[in-house]
Amino acid sequence: MTIYLNVWRQEGPDKPGRFETYTVPDVSPDMSFLEMFDVLNEQLTLEGKEPVEFDHDCREGICGSCNMVINGQAHGPNARTATCQLHMRSFKDGDTLFVEPWRASAFPVIKDLVVDRDAFDRIMEAGGYVSVNTGNAPDANSIPIDKVAADSAMDYAACIGCGACVAACPNASASLFVGAKLAHLSLLPQGQPERNRRVVNMVHQMKEEGFGDCSNHAECEAVCPKGISIAGIAAMRRDYVKAMLAAD
Amino acid sequence: MSTQVREKQPLWRQLFTSQIGKKLLTGLTGLGLTLFVIVHMAGNLSYFAGNEAYNAYAHKLLSLGPLLYIAELGLLAFFVFHIVLGVNIYLGKRKAREQGYKRYKTAGGQSKQSLSSRSMIVTGVILGVFLVLHLVSFKFGAYYEAAESIDGKPVRDLARLLNEKFQSPLYAFGYSGVMVLLALHLRHGIWSAFQSLGATNPRLTPLIYTLGALVGLLIAVGFFILPLWIFFTGGNA
Amino acid sequence: MKLDAKEPAGPLEQKWDRYLKDLKLVSPNNKRKHHVIVVGTGLAGASAAATLAELGYHISAFCIQDSARRAHSIAAQGGINAAKNYPGDGDSVWRLFYDTIKGGDYRSRESNVYRLAQNSNNIIDQCVAQGVPFAREYGGYLANRSFGGAQVSRTFYARGQTGQQLLLGAYSALSRQVSAGNIDMYARREMLDLVVVDGKARGIITRNLVTGELERYAADAVLLCTGGYGNVYFLSTNAKNSNVTAAWRCYKRGAFFANGCFTQIHPTCIPVHGDYQSKLTLMSESLRNDGRVWVPKNPEDSRPPQQIPEEDRDYYLERKYPSFGNLVPRDVASRNAKYVTDEGRGVGATGLSVYLDFRDSIKRLGRDVISQRYGNLFEMYERITDDNPYQVPMRIYPAVHYTMGGTWVDYNLMTTVPGLFCLGEANFSDHGANRLGASALMQGLSDGYFVIPYTMGQYIAGESFQAVDTEHDAFKEAENASRERLSKLLSINGNKTVLQFHKELGQFMWDYVGMSRNSEGLKKAISGISALKESFWNDVRVPGSNDTLNKSLEFAGRVADFLELGEVMARDALEREESCGGHFREEYQTPEGEALRNDDDFAYVAAWEHQESGPAVLHKEKLAFENVKLTQRSYK
Repeated sequence: MTIYLNVWRQEGPDKPGRFETYTVPDVSPDMSFLEMFDVLNEQLTLEGKEPVEFDHDCREGICGSCNMVINGQAHGPNARTATCQLHMRSFKDGDTLFVEPWRASAFPVIKDLVVDRDAFDRIMEAGGYVSVNTGNAPDANSIPIDKVAADSAMDYAACIGCGACVAACPNASASLFVGAKLAHLSLLPQGQPERNRRVVNMVHQMKEEGFGDCSNHAECEAVCPKGISIAGIAAMRRDYVKAMLAAD
Repeated sequence: MSTQVREKQPLWRQLFTSQIGKKLLTGLTGLGLTLFVIVHMAGNLSYFAGNEAYNAYAHKLLSLGPLLYIAELGLLAFFVFHIVLGVNIYLGKRKAREQGYKRYKTAGGQSKQSLSSRSMIVTGVILGVFLVLHLVSFKFGAYYEAAESIDGKPVRDLARLLNEKFQSPLYAFGYSGVMVLLALHLRHGIWSAFQSLGATNPRLTPLIYTLGALVGLLIAVGFFILPLWIFFTGGNA
Repeated sequence: MKLDAKEPAGPLEQKWDRYLKDLKLVSPNNKRKHHVIVVGTGLAGASAAATLAELGYHISAFCIQDSARRAHSIAAQGGINAAKNYPGDGDSVWRLFYDTIKGGDYRSRESNVYRLAQNSNNIIDQCVAQGVPFAREYGGYLANRSFGGAQVSRTFYARGQTGQQLLLGAYSALSRQVSAGNIDMYARREMLDLVVVDGKARGIITRNLVTGELERYAADAVLLCTGGYGNVYFLSTNAKNSNVTAAWRCYKRGAFFANGCFTQIHPTCIPVHGDYQSKLTLMSESLRNDGRVWVPKNPEDSRPPQQIPEEDRDYYLERKYPSFGNLVPRDVASRNAKYVTDEGRGVGATGLSVYLDFRDSIKRLGRDVISQRYGNLFEMYERITDDNPYQVPMRIYPAVHYTMGGTWVDYNLMTTVPGLFCLGEANFSDHGANRLGASALMQGLSDGYFVIPYTMGQYIAGESFQAVDTEHDAFKEAENASRERLSKLLSINGNKTVLQFHKELGQFMWDYVGMSRNSEGLKKAISGISALKESFWNDVRVPGSNDTLNKSLEFAGRVADFLELGEVMARDALEREESCGGHFREEYQTPEGEALRNDDDFAYVAAWEHQESGPAVLHKEKLAFENVKLTQRSYK
């Protein structure tokens, strides 16, 4: 099949960007979306042009590197599928596709489709951990944990930090990312001692990074490659209010 | 081992400036306002029991005196907070994505993005403007005195004002139209308020989402049958 | 130079404890004055950086991805072993040690492996304390499963995302130390050279992948935690950014490179679809618990699999290995898949796959049970191939998965360059010629959390450090060398892309240094790769410039190193005239066609030393087995 692409090209963070149109012939339906970009880049290289830069690494939907907005949808049209696991059989011969980077002020474009997601790391640094030094741990089975709680914690911990939630959110909010980490740790006994401080610090850091407010569109849950529930956002809010009202 | 500890902010600051505090207040005020419109709607519906009953209801409210002022002041505060926070969130959203998408499409599925959720600022602003016009038209509108008095006190004939105003297609349909927007606002607003208060979970959410839409719809219907009734039937004699 | 493994004296069970007892310590005040560089933030790197920072060292950590959280450890699915013996099925430190040594086909160091088994329990404790959501039983205690044919249930897991959860745990510990100011984190950096001053590792040169700037960092020790080099085969289950460059530049600065021929080829991967294929996806080998592997008896048989009757199917693993059947170890399963496809009996459009059939299990257990066990995997398979494994047998083929070989290290995890340590998959230790399932995560975290904090401290305490800053001539020389190399790559402007060269190299490696090797093929590979290298430096086309994000340039540098590595791997495979673990030499097999080890002549670690001119020189570290008896594996 033949695919017509409109790809966002931007030389650098402060440079203006524009769409460039490309035609990729002989696309196989079994190709992944990124493999189609590999083919395009080979083509561009041999034509003496600069290939399109895009982030990618594991190509099996777990590292969270890839980030393309395809025809207005973060990670493309398929539910629970990161860009790298999207295959061309999801498109038709002759389709015209617009490919854009994540767009959020907190995720500035570095080049073409590559964006800077350091804001997520800084939110994690603000409190996304349990303060336990190596060697301080008691025996792993010393605290039994309700299986239901542990499974639920795992649901939230499955976040791959790709940022699709931010990209798809009409407000560019990072609430699902932050809520997921908070809910993961709040569900476990190990997360309790720092629970109040953690929620306040991470929520404030999220704001400082310039993410928008959450308006409960739940678009984040719909695009999340791991299907993380916005119940994590509700849980974050409960914890925040509790922390806000706590004596210290 | 020291980890960075942020300075504890005063409660009011957390409430008004944090992303969660803001949504909490928006949700609380929104639910408060929803309760208010339900009471208001119930009052309106007393019109169908006859002009006297309607006027008596209005009179009863007015006779609350200082209590009414306090309630009105409270209501005003709710409106102001709700509007200011709503606008603030809208402006913040524009700042959070300075460069927009060429194409944008919802993913469907679990998404609760809808015409309603996308147009909260528009429906909200229109409702705000409507509120002022509404007060000018009715609360501060023409004063007619009813034939009957209650406990010897004069009674405002609000029913007459209603009957007059809603003869005009502009009023009747304008009013009804805005009520459709109210339904649209509540369709997302009610569920969203519960989510903002953290009062949801995966089992409750579908229920709240559906009930929210239903309540919004009922409120709107409860409001717009009155003007339409008056317009098409000429109203109570 | 004689290789000294520096194993502590004493009985096996006491070596590590004695080591710790006699350890030289660095005082808290002094720790602060020592600066340590950690390259890579996977399980080994992140756990080492976090722990050393907790102890008070000043750490600079580097990763090639945009965030430390994306290191390729994240992709490990199955689980992590530990000798907890929670199920009470007879596991112990000794048994885990023994299984690991035996699984590695007796080509690893006893002392290292024993220490690994000892540390395994601490790892689980540490991870649970960090909030890693391991699978649990209803009673609230940790769940275990048997993995990769082990006779005990010692594998801890977090759904099919164990690597992700362990890495996020280590990443959270790292984040905490970044926030505390003890770690300077540098993301989107690629290490291009090691700086050696007075014979000691004292710093690195990195390229800022966003701006293209070359940067110099000085330190008292450098920890190489850069993972495996499976991408030398082009197609592998490794992430696209996984590479050998950092390790290779250390090799060129004097760190020996060991056991390059030991590569693990995983039998259950989704087969190649076309020549545009960029990577291979692994599916958990737990699938072999209920799936039956087969090919048609007749190479001409082109019927759809469902229409091939029982009598025309060859369940070759069950036929050849009646007692283990479909559960034979990874290398045996992989090699046999190669044999049947070589016979022309492979299936699918390319003929390079075999069936993994769940028909009988579905019939026996019901669709629901199969869906509970493998639902996620079936979903993933269908997403990639568009085939529904409930109806059509899966098609699988082996793929390069893990490299047991790597930078040579002694018991302290120190390389042959003093002050340069190597952890995790990047080093050669612990897994011998073949790695057992669920042991990679264990080794990465053992090295990072529980070994290096002590052994590096021992080195720091025992050395005197003269101040070296980044203006030192060695830094200038290393930076210039890197700059010239980058300019050279950009200036060739030839006719072939980096990807084309990489694919050609991969083909050589897969064909001749893959599942089954022979002397003739290896010689062909050596000369072929050498010619390819020559051609690369004359005809590669690298677009763009050096002063911006330029992934083509990054990949060009990595492929250049892979070309050199491939040659050394082939030489290592040629030199090792025996079959063991992942290294199968066709000339050395039993009459039944199984791997034939030669313990008299080859019970050694092969460590290669780079030469400025001329071929690399082989050094041998003789392996002594004082505690286990060497036996031949048999799965008949």
